[in-house]
Amino acid sequence: MPFCKGCGHSHVLRKMNEALVQLQLPASDVCLVTDIGCIGLADALFDSVHTVHTTHGRSSAFATGIQIADALLGTGTLKTIVLIGDGGAMIGLQHLVNAALMNANITVLLCNNFLFGMTGGQNSAFSPFAFVTPTTPRGNIVPPIDMCRVLTDCGAEYVARSLATDKELGTIIASAISHPGFALVEIVELCTEHAMEKNSLTGKSLARIVESHDQHFGMLTGSATRSEFSERYVDKYPPRSQETSDNGKYLTPLFKSGLTNQVGIVIAGSAGERVQSTAKKLCEGAMNSGLWCTQKNDNPVTQGSGFSISEVIISPNEIFYTGIEVPDVVIAVSEDGLRELAEKQTLSHLLPSSTVILDSGLKLPPTNAQIFTYPFRKEYGADKAAGRAVEFYLQMSSLFSPDSFHL
Amino acid sequence: MTTLSEPKLRFCTGNQMIAEGAVRAGCRFFAGYPITPASGIYKSMIDLLQRRGDVAISAPDEISALAYCVGASMRGFKSMTATSGPGWALMIETIQYALMTETPVVIAFVQRLGPSTGGATQGAQGDILLSEFCTSGGYTIPILCPSTPAECFDLTHKAFAWAEMLRTPVIVLSDKEVGMTSECVDFARLSNQAPPTRKHKSDFASSKMYDFAERVEVPEYLSVGGMGKVTATGSAHNKSGELKKNDTETLEVLHHLEEKIRSRRSELAVTTFDGQAGAETLVVSFGITARTMRETVRNVRRLGKKVSALSIQSLFPVPDEKIKEAMVGISRIVIAEENFSGQYRSVLAPLLYGKEVVGVNKIGSMITPAEIEEQIV
Repeated sequence: MPFCKGCGHSHVLRKMNEALVQLQLPASDVCLVTDIGCIGLADALFDSVHTVHTTHGRSSAFATGIQIADALLGTGTLKTIVLIGDGGAMIGLQHLVNAALMNANITVLLCNNFLFGMTGGQNSAFSPFAFVTPTTPRGNIVPPIDMCRVLTDCGAEYVARSLATDKELGTIIASAISHPGFALVEIVELCTEHAMEKNSLTGKSLARIVESHDQHFGMLTGSATRSEFSERYVDKYPPRSQETSDNGKYLTPLFKSGLTNQVGIVIAGSAGERVQSTAKKLCEGAMNSGLWCTQKNDNPVTQGSGFSISEVIISPNEIFYTGIEVPDVVIAVSEDGLRELAEKQTLSHLLPSSTVILDSGLKLPPTNAQIFTYPFRKEYGADKAAGRAVEFYLQMSSLFSPDSFHL
Repeated sequence: MTTLSEPKLRFCTGNQMIAEGAVRAGCRFFAGYPITPASGIYKSMIDLLQRRGDVAISAPDEISALAYCVGASMRGFKSMTATSGPGWALMIETIQYALMTETPVVIAFVQRLGPSTGGATQGAQGDILLSEFCTSGGYTIPILCPSTPAECFDLTHKAFAWAEMLRTPVIVLSDKEVGMTSECVDFARLSNQAPPTRKHKSDFASSKMYDFAERVEVPEYLSVGGMGKVTATGSAHNKSGELKKNDTETLEVLHHLEEKIRSRRSELAVTTFDGQAGAETLVVSFGITARTMRETVRNVRRLGKKVSALSIQSLFPVPDEKIKEAMVGISRIVIAEENFSGQYRSVLAPLLYGKEVVGVNKIGSMITPAEIEEQIV
């Protein structure tokens, strides 16, 4: 093995091999997904199972993708095993957390030797208190993470902590692989190259140091009450062999329009008052009449408050540029909308040929445009004002037949 | 009964059409993380894939989203994710992994105003260089750039075809204005190509993970879970996929990763040339600004001016032959793009030697037809 003398990784890989032999899985049904660090050298030692050596900390995310694809789209027979170090487990914490929350059916063997061995023995998030490393020369002052507890709190149902030298490790790994859902085995080991010289650490004192941080050995949880992710997914979204019907999906123009020029229309109102859905109806009416159209919406980031504006272009020809520099028509039905138009200086650029349809409760700044007012809000209510104002415009213009506009 | 000539219209955004194109190309796995202006793709993929029993899931971040997709692709299924600038920043690690392991995956990248979180709802074409030049070592990532919802459909289909054919990640580089503007789309006029398929190895005993004789060849696939053993690594490796340091075969693999793409740049070129006899000015653009260019060309030709126009749909590998062909007889080249420095212009510069080159550049809003017209003499 490519590891230093006495390194715990050798024990772990021997025990994992034992587990695979014990489970008698076909080699093609096993995928080892390894992380960066010394433990990632494991790939080369397994010449029959699939091996995927990934980026630092991301092993469990790649494994989750592989496993879900196999379960839902493939044969559903693949066992996906992640080999990750303590450094990888922390930099990739969110992937482990999410795999545990999802209950993705992967097995994670976390090889914790308290440090980054491959890069020179730097401290990790798993280093014990007072642990001396090149980067904690006076001793570590941050407590070690209890990953078993973190992932148990995320719903992991198979969580165990073991020493690399534990005789039962092979059996523990085998039962973790057999567990139907997310399984974590944290394996505490000794880095003989970096951990021992400055710390009075031996194989025998490892367990004591871990326990001194209130971290315990053995099976920490071992139930299977939650179904794994793919099972829940397939319950909600069973495979369908056929596409859903096309009926009602497409529109075929039933009307004709005499429109000869492109028209830019800006509809301004308030959030929740059906401005954008009215603009969509306007576009569908145009499409019903054989016209081209585009719609852009704008609203504050919160979406549910303040102004709501739609810009609609309707044209007898294909629309290339989708912006409206000077609107031909402005339809304003609320204070919020009008204020936003004023801020964008949309109103000050209007031409004498421009049309403004305005709720009569609103006061328009000076403009060259032709103004038509009507008490849309008062007559029809705030949520119908935009729709009625568009209808009003269609009645007075020759855009297309109002018959093809349905609110 | 629908006949071929009868229009099948729908009012769709570019984002929706990327999703439609992906599903038509056989994408069966999507993992997403919300981000404006790309969230529409995420939502559409959820709608389209889940009802078929295919996989569309939520990831806890963009790193996971792309890693899930790469994992699914290694298992043998076409996959896609979608993001914008800030999410892309997180994906750069994983796209390099996909490139290195020759794993096809499609990333729909809908640009917004940067840098950092920039302007979530403002369009931009400011990530041309960021998206292409994101790999250690400087490898070519194929990038397709749609300007309309119909192109979103076609180019996403093409992105999957390229990803599968080349065994590499491919980006569909859209932007907020293309992605979030709803338009009339005639589904009867969309291309109806068959989904691309993977060519899997059949001889497992004697073949290597990445079998190629010449650097330009694309190896046949092995899938995780299949009968042939997969040996994949993001580290430098030989043709067997074994981690190695600087031996001849490993360096050969590193050259192969680039050569398989660069050698095909002619067949990968996608452009639309609207040439006019006697024109001395050529306008070049792409994405949303290509539409402004088309509008400008329509306007100035009505005024009797002569102008040619080249829309580029495949930004990378640079379609150099198509650009050279379009430059014949041209003395002045106007390159319009919605960023302040002329990012793509800087990429094209070596091709344009001896010509008068003018950039039309802007940030904050779409380039207008008048702004391009000013540069057409």
